[in-house]
Amino acid sequence: MERLQIQAVAADVPALRAVFVTAMPDCLLFDAWVKTEETWVAEDAASYFGDLVRANREGLKALKSWSSEMQVTIESADVLLVLRELRSDFVVTLAFQRDAPLGMVRMYTKRMIERLDELLPRLEAKERPRAVRVREFLEKYAPDPHAALARIALRTGISLDSLKKAEGLTAGQVDVFETSVKDLLGLESLPV
Amino acid sequence: MATESFRAYLPDLDLMTNAGAPAVYHCHHFNLFLDQTVDDALGPQEGAKLRFLAAREASHAFLRALCVRKGALTPVEKLSAAMEAFAAMGHGRLEITADANGGPADGEFLHYGYSWAQKYGQKVRRRHPADAFAAGYTAAAVEIAYGLERESVDATETQCVAMRAERCHFELKRGASPPQLPPVREAEIKAAAKPTMNGLYEAEIGKITNGLRSFTGGVAGDQRGLVQAFGVFITMHLSGYYNRITYDTMAQVEKTSPGSIGVLEELFRESGHVCVFNTFGGMLLSPEWAGLVGAPTGDITQTIIGCVAIARALGFGHWVIHEVTPGSKLVLRTPCTYESGYYLTRHGVATRPNEYFFQGASLAFCQLAYRVDWKAKPELTPEFYEALFRGKIPCKMEQTQGTTMGQPYSEVVVTQLG
Repeated sequence: MERLQIQAVAADVPALRAVFVTAMPDCLLFDAWVKTEETWVAEDAASYFGDLVRANREGLKALKSWSSEMQVTIESADVLLVLRELRSDFVVTLAFQRDAPLGMVRMYTKRMIERLDELLPRLEAKERPRAVRVREFLEKYAPDPHAALARIALRTGISLDSLKKAEGLTAGQVDVFETSVKDLLGLESLPV
Repeated sequence: MATESFRAYLPDLDLMTNAGAPAVYHCHHFNLFLDQTVDDALGPQEGAKLRFLAAREASHAFLRALCVRKGALTPVEKLSAAMEAFAAMGHGRLEITADANGGPADGEFLHYGYSWAQKYGQKVRRRHPADAFAAGYTAAAVEIAYGLERESVDATETQCVAMRAERCHFELKRGASPPQLPPVREAEIKAAAKPTMNGLYEAEIGKITNGLRSFTGGVAGDQRGLVQAFGVFITMHLSGYYNRITYDTMAQVEKTSPGSIGVLEELFRESGHVCVFNTFGGMLLSPEWAGLVGAPTGDITQTIIGCVAIARALGFGHWVIHEVTPGSKLVLRTPCTYESGYYLTRHGVATRPNEYFFQGASLAFCQLAYRVDWKAKPELTPEFYEALFRGKIPCKMEQTQGTTMGQPYSEVVVTQLG
């Protein structure tokens, strides 16, 4: 989708501050529109929105309460966010001014989602190597992210260069890598 | 406070002692990162064991001298002196009820566990206790108080606030005393130091250093036993602890996993880098600095001068500016660092440069000088720190001389890349 098209979808929507489109399942920024006066960096936020919706989906499934129509609304101190899964390909996040009336937000959200559904392509899911997804997860959630891969190299004995090119790790190395990432993050499993 | 009056600086070397024990000021960013690197290298069990042993050894020497200087004679007086000094140095509050046969001790606001929870607790779950330093200190305090053989008490942290316990708890018991390592005291540090030297801007650096020493001389732990200033938690720490965990870890990795030495050195340097960015940066932005020196202008040379003065005031050694060419090159030299005297005494002459704190700190001086917009009074947040590493770091650091390698001074050259 060309950037102009997402801009057209966002045009004239009152109180709208930004639109982020996150490609799933990799949680990578696909496209975004951010109002010129905003200082947000789309790349910094988009992947977390994908993770958030995925976690929400899994939580609702655990409660046997999930449906594909679900949407997440977040009312923070100065922004109102609506996150919506679009097919299994995308998560669309709409950021509104905090004082925008909820009824209006819901109405415009529905309209924009319908238009984006027409505009956004069907993605052919091409699963990237697990080691790459593990590395991306680590770099996103580790404390001191700039040092995280070096710490894993020290813990595992796998060279830093090999970890940077994680797609080339052997199956045994991937297991060691993933176990070490879980230990470092204090997690029982990695949602990748 | 009690410990303050026992602080001293070795003339011309700008190394600090506390009751005669080699000491230095360091922030929680450094302390946590260094401990973490040791655990990453050795694993959480072996890492914690080494940190405990290093803490107990360094603390024993310090507490023995402290009790003599304070005239503490009875077990109660000695334990009281130890607990008071621990809090005064910013390590938190200890309540030691163990006796010669062992027993419990409790900790509140312990520097490592508390600051770990503050810095990382919302982000990751910790599965191992954080306070090996407090454990070693507690064991040494009991040894001193009851006249037990040196390094004969073991202590295990069974609850830790970093693991979301309400308070920290230790269990102490008598154990076997390991073979004693050669001591590294003031005398050994002096003997290992090379002839001192002067560099550029000495008068200016000396004046700021003296001002900072006056200021820090009055700083002691608050009600919690913590020193919270300049946006960080600061400790007066025993440099023997840092040095033993650093160089013993390096020796172990050289034996068992030599391919990991490069990454281990990089992480040791990073602990110095993160320390300077946060603590030095926080000091430069503080009202106290504005009162002493004036608000930072962003002038590169002035920022470097300030950083060198802070390094001397904190007891890192007599670092001098040999060359500073803004936008191009910084050369720092020193006849000693708090690392070098220890290394030479314990390990002999090194085969490669290994003053990791000096290396990481020097690089961070340039990051502060080149990449911080001081006039904008930025907040030194973790996000800002991470942003420094996006893309390529525009400076290259190399240690070109080292007293640990038998050379007459240590030298680090930081070159700005085009």
